[in-house]
Amino acid sequence: MPESHRPNGHGFTCQEVVAIASEYLEGAMAPEQMTAFEVHLNFCDGCLRFIDQMRETTALAHSLSDDEIPAELKSELLAVFRDLRRE
Amino acid sequence: MVGPPSGVAGIGDDALLIGRLRGGDESAFEELVTTLYPAMFAVARGYVRDRSTADEVVQEAWLGALNGLDRFEGRSTLRTWLLRIVANIARDRAVREARSLPFSAFELESDEPPVDPDRFRGAHEPYPGGWRSFPTDWRTIPESRLLARETFDRVERAIDALPESQQAVMKLRDVIGLDAEEVCHALGITKGNQRVLLHRARVRVRAELEAYLDA
Repeated sequence: MPESHRPNGHGFTCQEVVAIASEYLEGAMAPEQMTAFEVHLNFCDGCLRFIDQMRETTALAHSLSDDEIPAELKSELLAVFRDLRRE
Repeated sequence: MVGPPSGVAGIGDDALLIGRLRGGDESAFEELVTTLYPAMFAVARGYVRDRSTADEVVQEAWLGALNGLDRFEGRSTLRTWLLRIVANIARDRAVREARSLPFSAFELESDEPPVDPDRFRGAHEPYPGGWRSFPTDWRTIPESRLLARETFDRVERAIDALPESQQAVMKLRDVIGLDAEEVCHALGITKGNQRVLLHRARVRVRAELEAYLDA
């Protein structure tokens, strides 16, 4: 059970940490906010795991293969390109 | 200037590339069409759900771009310029087909809570806002399970099931790897909106993964 959900007395709750996790992961946090955020992570395994899961989710998404262009669309576009060249 | 991550010519190379396109270099065009397809398709699907309609939007965008190549001024990268064209065509198309777009599809519809509020202790309980029970530690999951085909399939399905605008942002950012600034320019959205859409998307996909990995 989480006992140090607001470890420095005036920092974030776990629910708040989760709500602004992407600001942290995106490097979009103000420095003073970041300090309070990281203090929370130092004391809270639950939130540390959550942040880790968010990172892992992003990493897994990045390993997916991209959508491939349908062959038909590609050949149609190449035909258009050739036609424009002749004009 | 560092080039974009997905192997497409960056700003420095755009002039060269455009020269080749104007000169009728078919292999340069083929490479560009192939490389840019995932991002163009993702932008289109941010507005039109149907895959074949999204492909039509991509095609229409290329026709417009090829005809307007002389008007490309190089103030953005060629890729961002193309993605903007896709977004404009897709938006028009969505409106024309009377899909419900009361305001921009990329405006934030609601203040949906990012994670199920029941995961946290209520205001009148001890430690309000704290986890009821911690998320599991994914680092203890064997790689053979975490990186199994089934896990990737779950991620893919979860992304496909996202609302259009969240899906477009997560595909562009996390799957394809564009940076936040380019996604904002391409979709014509603010940094704040982009981040909220990305957050909601990642949180939903994480929850799907959690349900699978914790089972």
